Amino acid sequence: MTDRLAFLWPEIALFVTTCIVMIVGLSKSLAVRKSTGVIAGVGVLVALYLAAVSTPHTSGPAVCPLTGIHFAPQLTASMGQVLLPDMVPFTKCLIAAVGFMLLLVLAGTVDRNEEAQIASGKRVYDPLRANRAEFYAFYLFSLTGLMLTASADDLIWLFLALELTSLPTYIMVAMSTSRNQSREAGVKYFFLGALGAAIFLYGFALIYGGTGETKLNDIAAVIHAQGINSLTMVGAILAIFGFAFKIAAVPMHFYTADVYQGSASQVSAFLAFVPKTAGFIAILLLCATLGWAYNPGEGAGGSIGFTAVVTQVEGATRLPEPVRLLLWVMAAMTMTIGNIFAILQTSVKRTLAYSSIAHSGYMLVGVIAGPFNGDSSNAFTNNGVSAVLFYLLSYGVMNLGAFAALAMIERTAKADGEVREIDHFDDLRGLCKVHPIAGWTLVISSLSLLGLPPLLGFFGKLPLFTSGIAAGEIVLVVILGINSAIAAFYYLRMAFLPLTDTRDATIEQTTEAPFVGRKLAGLLSAGGVIVLAIAASAVIDQVKQAGTVQTWNPTRAIKPAPAPHGHDHAALELSPESVAAAGGVTSGAAKDER
Amino acid sequence: MMQALNIFSSIAAHAVASEPAAGVAQAATRTITQGETWMLAIPFLPLLAFVLIALCAAFKVRSKLPAFITVGLLALSFGAALTTFIQHFMGPAAAPILHVHAFDWLHFKAGPEAAQGFVANFAFYIDSLTILWMLFVTGLATLIALYASEYMSHDVGPGYCRFFAAFSLFVFSMSCLVMADNLVLLFLGWEGVGLCSYLLIGYFYKKAPAVAAAKKAFIMNRIGDLGLLMGIFSIYTAFGTVEYAKIFEFFRSGVDATGNQIGSSTWITIIIPLLFTIGAFGKSAQVFLYTWLPDAMEGPTPVSALIHAATMVTAGVFLIARMMPLYQADPNLLILSIVAWSGAITALWSATIEMAIFDIKRVMGYSTISQLGFMFAGLGVLTPEGSAFHVFTHAFFKATLFLGVGAVMHGFGGQLDLRRLSGVGWMKGFGLVAAAVFIGSINLAGFPFTAGFFSKDMILAEAFARPEGQIAGSQAVAWILLITAGMTAYYTFRSFFRVYVGPKQFVPGDDAELVDLGRHPKGVSLDAWHKEHGHGHGHGHEHEHNDHAHRHGSYGGVGDARAHGRQDFDPSTEEFDPHPPGFAMKFAIAACAILTIAAAGLYFVSPAIGEGGGWAAGMVRQSSAVVSAEVLSGHTSGTDEGHAHGTFLGMDPHHVMYYVSAGVGFIGVLIAAFLHGPKGWQGLFLGVRQSCDVAPRADKLANAFGPLTTAARNKYYVDEIYDALITRPLWVLSHIFHLFDQYVVDGLVNLIGALPRFFGKALRPIQSGEMHGYAVGMAGGVAVLLILVVLLVG
Repeated sequence: MTDRLAFLWPEIALFVTTCIVMIVGLSKSLAVRKSTGVIAGVGVLVALYLAAVSTPHTSGPAVCPLTGIHFAPQLTASMGQVLLPDMVPFTKCLIAAVGFMLLLVLAGTVDRNEEAQIASGKRVYDPLRANRAEFYAFYLFSLTGLMLTASADDLIWLFLALELTSLPTYIMVAMSTSRNQSREAGVKYFFLGALGAAIFLYGFALIYGGTGETKLNDIAAVIHAQGINSLTMVGAILAIFGFAFKIAAVPMHFYTADVYQGSASQVSAFLAFVPKTAGFIAILLLCATLGWAYNPGEGAGGSIGFTAVVTQVEGATRLPEPVRLLLWVMAAMTMTIGNIFAILQTSVKRTLAYSSIAHSGYMLVGVIAGPFNGDSSNAFTNNGVSAVLFYLLSYGVMNLGAFAALAMIERTAKADGEVREIDHFDDLRGLCKVHPIAGWTLVISSLSLLGLPPLLGFFGKLPLFTSGIAAGEIVLVVILGINSAIAAFYYLRMAFLPLTDTRDATIEQTTEAPFVGRKLAGLLSAGGVIVLAIAASAVIDQVKQAGTVQTWNPTRAIKPAPAPHGHDHAALELSPESVAAAGGVTSGAAKDER
Repeated sequence: MMQALNIFSSIAAHAVASEPAAGVAQAATRTITQGETWMLAIPFLPLLAFVLIALCAAFKVRSKLPAFITVGLLALSFGAALTTFIQHFMGPAAAPILHVHAFDWLHFKAGPEAAQGFVANFAFYIDSLTILWMLFVTGLATLIALYASEYMSHDVGPGYCRFFAAFSLFVFSMSCLVMADNLVLLFLGWEGVGLCSYLLIGYFYKKAPAVAAAKKAFIMNRIGDLGLLMGIFSIYTAFGTVEYAKIFEFFRSGVDATGNQIGSSTWITIIIPLLFTIGAFGKSAQVFLYTWLPDAMEGPTPVSALIHAATMVTAGVFLIARMMPLYQADPNLLILSIVAWSGAITALWSATIEMAIFDIKRVMGYSTISQLGFMFAGLGVLTPEGSAFHVFTHAFFKATLFLGVGAVMHGFGGQLDLRRLSGVGWMKGFGLVAAAVFIGSINLAGFPFTAGFFSKDMILAEAFARPEGQIAGSQAVAWILLITAGMTAYYTFRSFFRVYVGPKQFVPGDDAELVDLGRHPKGVSLDAWHKEHGHGHGHGHEHEHNDHAHRHGSYGGVGDARAHGRQDFDPSTEEFDPHPPGFAMKFAIAACAILTIAAAGLYFVSPAIGEGGGWAAGMVRQSSAVVSAEVLSGHTSGTDEGHAHGTFLGMDPHHVMYYVSAGVGFIGVLIAAFLHGPKGWQGLFLGVRQSCDVAPRADKLANAFGPLTTAARNKYYVDEIYDALITRPLWVLSHIFHLFDQYVVDGLVNLIGALPRFFGKALRPIQSGEMHGYAVGMAGGVAVLLILVVLLVG
């Protein structure tokens, strides 16, 4: 069991930070209170470092560049799931890095009026009224949950991690502004989230019922040996519906616009990254458990007419047909509905909310395409899993810029001192002239979200297209292309209003929010969009490794099934022939255990 | 005089055709040597000038600094060209081919082998033909830049920077064109000079005719450029390279890249040279592509002098001379016959227009077309020596003439109508101008012992000397050219007698070219301008009464202002002071005139190779432009024995042509004097003209010709014909396409754009904000999708 700890150093670091933050944030001394955010930032950076050096992965122990200690051990099946063995270090680094930028944006979200009144002597500090400690603690809890999701190797673990990710977000939404809208959004989010959680928990229960296992490795082994029975299949489908809530995919997307608009811009940025990443990690884990290596029409459901929309591609294999079909419909509807709702909005935040739905649809194309496409050269552009992971990074960086730009600016305070955000498209006019940092951040982020070639968004979207084509999903790729074009409508509006138009007198005056962190986050995001686009090759190597999937082709199983209840992890070997036959080549950890 | 004529007739006895074989032999064995790096200064100093002037513009320099930069750097560039010439090309020794590599430019690999690629370097190929061109290009550019420093001084500021930036860029582009070691770099220069020409013709961009002329020049040149571009493509297809050295090697070996005989390939011997010829016609304003050049006179006069007379328009001649091995590959010399005929017809055609029109600058424009026709005819009748020499001499004397016209324009408020100017040479400060114009005129008219006389003679003599059947109809070409030479003498001196001598009378012009652009009245349409200028010439269109101080000076401005459509100009109350040229302009004009005189001496410098033709001929014979002995003697045209020389009425043209062309020239001048010469001792005794606008004999003669004169004055309605045949149908077609685009294509696009909005509006009520509605939606969505999956997968 101690092996398991090897995965958990970043989470432990975050948890320790959370405890410190909870205490420090309640201090009576203003200076100590103010250090809360800094401590949280340090904690996230420590977690980033630990995630980079300590997480077990297939290429064996690594030497810590700072201390010289042999740290990240060789991954074994006793440590965690070995289906997506190298996904964990990459996703954890991604979570910590984007998490740090989110922390910068979140500066000053809560207690602003409170602190102003204390500073002006109208009121004395009262820990019961202050929200700072809870807010940062909940943020760190959510981040911890997200990292635990990445570490998950068990259905129960996965459920708990997902809930740990989600529960704090409900509260953060409610407390993000003092408006009633935020509370309404928080309540809506909580109840609908509970519905989503119920659905995937039901799905997990059915998977357990179908396979008798909760560990992902074991479930995969059972499916490998026996194929997918209908109970497991229904469970998997329900689980995917539940995950769809986290990623805001149709039909579980209804809450998105209301919640994003109801919460403060910086919290919306957080919502667009953390639950979505958790959902995609969960979907990837589940799909890896089911396996992508089914030949067309050979899934549990047998051959059906729907495969007609799939072009036969040499070497391409796919998910079990019902799962693929579900994801296919879900992806197409998610993209389309997200985009057509987005073009009608006059609220920037609602537009970004619907566009976040659309982006989930794009990423689902990568999930459907899967890792085994084309020949055995295992090219990055053919691997749908790598494409999804890279897109998570791209989307996290560039979407944060758009929200940070909104968070940087606020309408000039009226007499009541109430802080009101900019939200209408008219507020964006001439932004580049009046508030250059916010304006340019928004321009660059929007163009990147649109997928304009020299920017990161293009390099993110490109492998989604290519892997989709390599998998033969031509119709879906066409839908993806059409949707990218529709998205241009509102993203170009968002990019060109700040650039071209001038402000007239009817637009409310705006001032810059007095938080350096938000500007810094915007600059980091805009800079990241450009730098990562230039230096994409370094990231792509990591992503390619992270997207490597170990899986079995049940219909071509050679070995007899391992005992379902025996904890014999050594039985979880790979048969290299089957992997090669499936078109994917990896150097799996399980292989080394023989 | 007869003795002197005998001297050069004895030289001519050994003229071009007699002994070129030695030169050819040497050309074949010559190898390419590495040139010194400092030779890169020839093209790159003008580029540096361009960059510096761009900086001047950026820093809003409002002084003559851009002119000084241009003159200084161009002078250094000329110095580099001259040094190159002195070090490597002086004397009788065989001229080298220098190769200077600036940097790697285009390298494409098409396959694993080195040959399967495309290489075009920014490198220069300097042989004697190149250096011949570069000497007059950089030299004249320096002098004309000096002239322009004063001429453009009314525009000091952004306009001044713009002018000299384009001027320097032009010299850089021209250097690339001439010095390139491959056809792609030549094309870069070719387009570069076209661009600069466009920019400078349209210099007065608030003047509608200037803008129209600039566009016309650019678009007409596109037709030629297409030909050249396709020619370059074809060369690459045939030989797998665009570098001269390698292309010439193929022609020397006689087989193309695939090992086929070049002479038997119609593609190489007919199509490719034809494409190059179309390119040359466009740039050099020949045959059906000439109409842009007269309109290009809308540009400032220094531009007309440098670009549209001396240098750029000779690029077509250079191209054909450079690619002479290609043109000689055809045993029947078909394309060269076409070139000869095109040149002769263009020369005659534009000479007839010149005799009728009144705008002295356009006379020079058409004269340039006519002289270029001579050069093309010279190439066609196998005397690139004569053509190159004529290019060289023409550059100087035509520049002199243009600079003189510019001085008159500058002095008389842009007046160019020869009926509004008389006796300019007798006015204060214009004596030097008149003397220089006289020198230019006797060169253009072909007076004995002038440079223009010798160079024209070489072409005429060779045209008559072509053996029967070698160049189709070479005798007819020769006669056309001879008649044109007479007409040239007439129209040249028609202008001279009308403008520079005679009673001192003038009407100042509308000053359009010299009016500050900012103060120029707006809102005058092209139609209004044409209405006011019924003669289709002239510069400017509005009257500036209050701005120009020197209009209110005193000089007896007498003339028929009403005939010009200007009722409001009253010479008795408004006086005008002609504005004589200053030092810079005078210096440049004088230098050009002196160089024009000196150029005649080059004919007596014994050539480095071969005999006869002087220095320029020797330079050409040492380069790729040389016509091989076999072609010259006619051995390639099927029969073993060479043809007999052609004759001029039974006499050897090399001997008699000096007398014949001198005689024809004299007759032309005498007719001009008779028709246009002023009465009294100031003019020649023949004339009867007493006022600036009426020349009784000439007017009577013009009336006698009636419709022919009208047609010629209207430039034979070529522009109108082009408009009706090409522009109008294209215009109609484009409008049809536009309507299609507007209603069909845009309609479809708008429909597609409207669809998502429609769906969005239809679905919008779902997002009501009510939570139970959302919950039902989620649950219902799950149910529907589950059923769908179950149904489809079964």
